[in-house]
Amino acid sequence: MFHSIEHVQRHRGFGIVVVCIALLSLLASACAPQPGAQTGPGGTKTGGVAGGTAQTSSAPTFPTTPPALRTPSFGSAGQIAPTVKVLASVDPTLIIQFPLSPSSIKTLFPKASGLVTVMQGNPAISVFDTITVDVQNMPPNVKFTVFLIEIATKPFGHAEYVGDVITRGDGTGESTFHLITFVAFAADARQANVTSADQSGDASGIQLEHLGMWFDGVDNARKALNDPTIAGTPFDGGGGALHAGPQAMTDGQTLPVI
Amino acid sequence: MRTVQSTFSRALRGSRRPWLLLPIVLLLISLQVGTDYGVATAFAASSQRGAQAGQARPDNANVARLRQMVREGKLAPTVHVLDSLPPTTILQFPLVPSGLKSKFPDATALVTVVRGDRNDSTSDTVTIDVQKMPPNITFTIFFIEIANKPFGNVEYVADLTTRGDGTGETIFHIITLVAFAMDARNPGTSHDQEGQASGIQLEHLGMWFAQLQDAQKVLNDDTLLGTIFDGGNPPLHAGPQAMTDGQSSPVF
Repeated sequence: MFHSIEHVQRHRGFGIVVVCIALLSLLASACAPQPGAQTGPGGTKTGGVAGGTAQTSSAPTFPTTPPALRTPSFGSAGQIAPTVKVLASVDPTLIIQFPLSPSSIKTLFPKASGLVTVMQGNPAISVFDTITVDVQNMPPNVKFTVFLIEIATKPFGHAEYVGDVITRGDGTGESTFHLITFVAFAADARQANVTSADQSGDASGIQLEHLGMWFDGVDNARKALNDPTIAGTPFDGGGGALHAGPQAMTDGQTLPVI
Repeated sequence: MRTVQSTFSRALRGSRRPWLLLPIVLLLISLQVGTDYGVATAFAASSQRGAQAGQARPDNANVARLRQMVREGKLAPTVHVLDSLPPTTILQFPLVPSGLKSKFPDATALVTVVRGDRNDSTSDTVTIDVQKMPPNITFTIFFIEIANKPFGNVEYVADLTTRGDGTGETIFHIITLVAFAMDARNPGTSHDQEGQASGIQLEHLGMWFAQLQDAQKVLNDDTLLGTIFDGGNPPLHAGPQAMTDGQSSPVF
């Protein structure tokens, strides 16, 4: 290399070539993939503004005509709670929504509200349902557990712990879970003859067709509700028996909501 | 190295146009930057492998606690606690064929459970990867009280449909490490990794044929009986257990 430097002293043209090589190498460095950048299939770079996709090859065919929406049936009259709304969707997706209303927090947080959205894809191929729980006007900065339950109100019956919602300082919060929802059931496999009715007819186990939210800690409940006499409940996992607080929100329905 | 330096010094002193060395230096710097980037990328990709090999283990008290539980037999010996940065916890354990064993002895599965911060995360993430399973079959996935018959209390969490080559995977988000079953009218208590807890702990995982007919066909056995291990109508339309963690001690 240093022999080349001496050579440059004799040949100015060669120096220009070296300068060009240096500039080209800098350009190549600048164009090299940077940490954090993702390259999609076919060299397509993804990311950027608003999650847009920059195409480096021919543009894909994008549908210009919206697919037809329909509102599928869900259960039958008298089988599903009147608070359940079935949203319009593209076949075969099913989307339902139902509200939550305050139970133990009603006195201090009468405007607390929740909206549960449950989506099911093609029942033949989808591997779980998606539940989104949105809440407003709730006690701020508190963690609530979410359970699928047999009965909307006390004594609640069989229960399945599915996730948590943590409220922000303004009392809002949301969580999304992916799990079996529309055909959720509780069972003890030693008693295989126990059956119950769901929207499709008789099914194994005890159907869990309601949803509720609980204070994940009884201390939080006592503080938020200003009541030191509140007793613990089993509606949280781990961390000592009966350490959870009372039910905060409920679908409040006698008929199933899911 | 000394030879290179002396050569460089001689070249600098002898040069009538030292500015010509600038592009050379720039070239060397840019090459060095490129090399550093490559090394950094390679390190990032291999850090887990290196960590597993006992190099540069991150300090995670929960990982140490869970590994101690494996050593003490409080978690099954098949449980592998992966290195992770706090507060994340990652567990892995295999599944082995149960009902499938005679026809698909090489069937394998790996379950990975990821939990974030105990206080701030709202659910766990479970990934199940399978290989050499019956092709194009839907299996149901349950958290269960006991790994083998009679299974006890159960919770239906998701499905997994295999591809034509017998592979498959599913990812779902649900409370896992503190999953439990209960009837709130009489919840009872039981022990989990954190001590006494409400309800009956569900600390095992199994996979079942979603349809009895699939099981009868795949296993070439018309005498198989229906089980409860799928939701919806009619009762007992599911098939036998296909895969199990097979452990007496908890796997999560």
